[in-house]
Amino acid sequence: MSSDNSRFLLLSINHEHVPLEERESYSVNDDKLRELYRLARESAEIEESLVLSTCNRFELYAKSTADSPQNPLTKILADLHQIDCEEIESHAITEMGQEAVTHLIEVSAGLRSQITGEAEILGQVKQAYAKSQELGGAGKLINRVAQKAFQAAKQIRHNTPIGQGTINISNVAVDLSLKIFGDLNEASVLVLGTGEIGEKTAQSLMRRGAKKFGVASRSIERATAFAAPFNAKPHASDNLASYLPEYDIIIAGIGVKEAIITKDLVRKLKPDYRDNPLFLIDLGLPRNIDPKCEDFDNVYIYNLDDLAKISEDNLAERRKAISASREIALQKSSFIWQNLQKRGLI
Amino acid sequence: MLFGLEDRQWIFIATVVFAITFILGTYSVLKLQRKTASVYTLGLVTFGWVLQTIGLYARGLEYGGCPLANNFELVQFTVWSAIVLYIFVGPAFRVSLLGVLTSGFAAALSILSLTFPGWDSGSREAIFGDNPWIETHAALALFSYGVFGIQALISGMYLSQSRSLKTKELGGLFRFMPSIVELLRINQRLLLIGLVILTVSLGIGRVHWADENTTVDALKLTATIAVWVAYGIIYFLRVRKVLSSKRFAWTSIAVFAIALLSLEAVSSDTPPTEPPAATSIENELR
Repeated sequence: MSSDNSRFLLLSINHEHVPLEERESYSVNDDKLRELYRLARESAEIEESLVLSTCNRFELYAKSTADSPQNPLTKILADLHQIDCEEIESHAITEMGQEAVTHLIEVSAGLRSQITGEAEILGQVKQAYAKSQELGGAGKLINRVAQKAFQAAKQIRHNTPIGQGTINISNVAVDLSLKIFGDLNEASVLVLGTGEIGEKTAQSLMRRGAKKFGVASRSIERATAFAAPFNAKPHASDNLASYLPEYDIIIAGIGVKEAIITKDLVRKLKPDYRDNPLFLIDLGLPRNIDPKCEDFDNVYIYNLDDLAKISEDNLAERRKAISASREIALQKSSFIWQNLQKRGLI
Repeated sequence: MLFGLEDRQWIFIATVVFAITFILGTYSVLKLQRKTASVYTLGLVTFGWVLQTIGLYARGLEYGGCPLANNFELVQFTVWSAIVLYIFVGPAFRVSLLGVLTSGFAAALSILSLTFPGWDSGSREAIFGDNPWIETHAALALFSYGVFGIQALISGMYLSQSRSLKTKELGGLFRFMPSIVELLRINQRLLLIGLVILTVSLGIGRVHWADENTTVDALKLTATIAVWVAYGIIYFLRVRKVLSSKRFAWTSIAVFAIALLSLEAVSSDTPPTEPPAATSIENELR
């Protein structure tokens, strides 16, 4: 390994190698983070540092001094947590040089996330970088590496399907609603039942622009209580036929022995001649909606299995994109590393 | 000949550009799973349209009028109109993949018109005489066909989206296409636009054929009126909610196919009752 390589170091304790119960002991709160940056600043072997601490990973990137005899990161982490270096070494993986740059790009793009391709990690890395600047960790090298890594991560997310498709079942239902209605402003939503998954789906729809809500429950009191955060109209579920025509999206998750939304009931709505289609989301078990309702052209039904399958398919598509994404990350890190060498930053 | 190339050569190059746009766009979506930026698609389609315009202009100069004398020219003008609609109105619709599909539509029709030499008959004359209103009538009628062509494309997109949602097969083009409600709204709007343009065209023609009714071939007149009535009925039934969304889309595609076939009748050489005086509204399309 060249001496240049050893100037940029990474120590990572993450979900890929370390279980949660051991990983949690390395998480740092704001005080500990400040302390860690102080230790790094005071270390004679570290010139720059960047700490990334999320629920799935603790990572410390650093620029070491030219005459640093070995990886100095274990030592400051041992000092911070008051534990042996050997214990840290048993949990941590270390990378250096271009490999550490590649790692940062892959983490930022979500390639190494527990849920492959999740988007939040890029924001977390950016926040970590901002904190590093605030606490005096980042210098010329970290600045350059971080900014270029963010660009590379964005390029990966844009040019591959790594972040495409939703994984969460509530969000899958929302995505489908958008594919049917486009703008949810004009779609009205009925939540049938007051279960948790129905509530979460309604919340997701609300976040994406749905404004008109109704809630139906066996007990009008429960419907009224559930309706409040959505500014929804409460209904009693035993009188479904009277208010069903008002709604375009129906989230059904009520405890029943047999389907309560039947083909006959839907036929009365004349679904094929409505301006808006009818989107029926069946979250109930046993199912709340008769599958024969889908015989109408303008009616789309998705049950729990359908949503789960879409979620699994999306995840599989993301995983398929990992190899192509890693190739881009490698190309980018090679370019960044050569650029750092040319600029004399390592 | 213009800028060293024959009119058909310009149109051939334009067709190649349309085909490349369609192939690149489709490959990008299906293989690379990302949409080509609309600005590139718009740029390529516009480039193809400019080439096609040069070809049609060269032909117009040669024959001293709007090139609408045979099947080849009618199809080319319909394609040209569809592309005009996409370039100037399409961005307002914000329909993903409309550019790619429009270029596919343009390439397919254009290849068809170039494939059959008989469609581009050699015997032709300055058919519009000196009456610009007749020329306007014919150009507007064909422009409405271009609008109906785009409407048929949007109908196809609607049916494809609806089928994907029904069968729960959400791969391929699905994720890149707009919502079915948006497609349906645009579809209805385009049908109205096409219908208005065709009505204006027929209105202009009516003024002239009232004086020259003996020069109008019955088959041409029937075909043109039938297309107008068919679209009128579809629109009426849709607005009155008698036609379901799916049937509306299928009927739009079917009527457009029939409208294309009717171009054959419109450009046929059946002699009118009396010798043409170059002013018949249908005869000008020969």
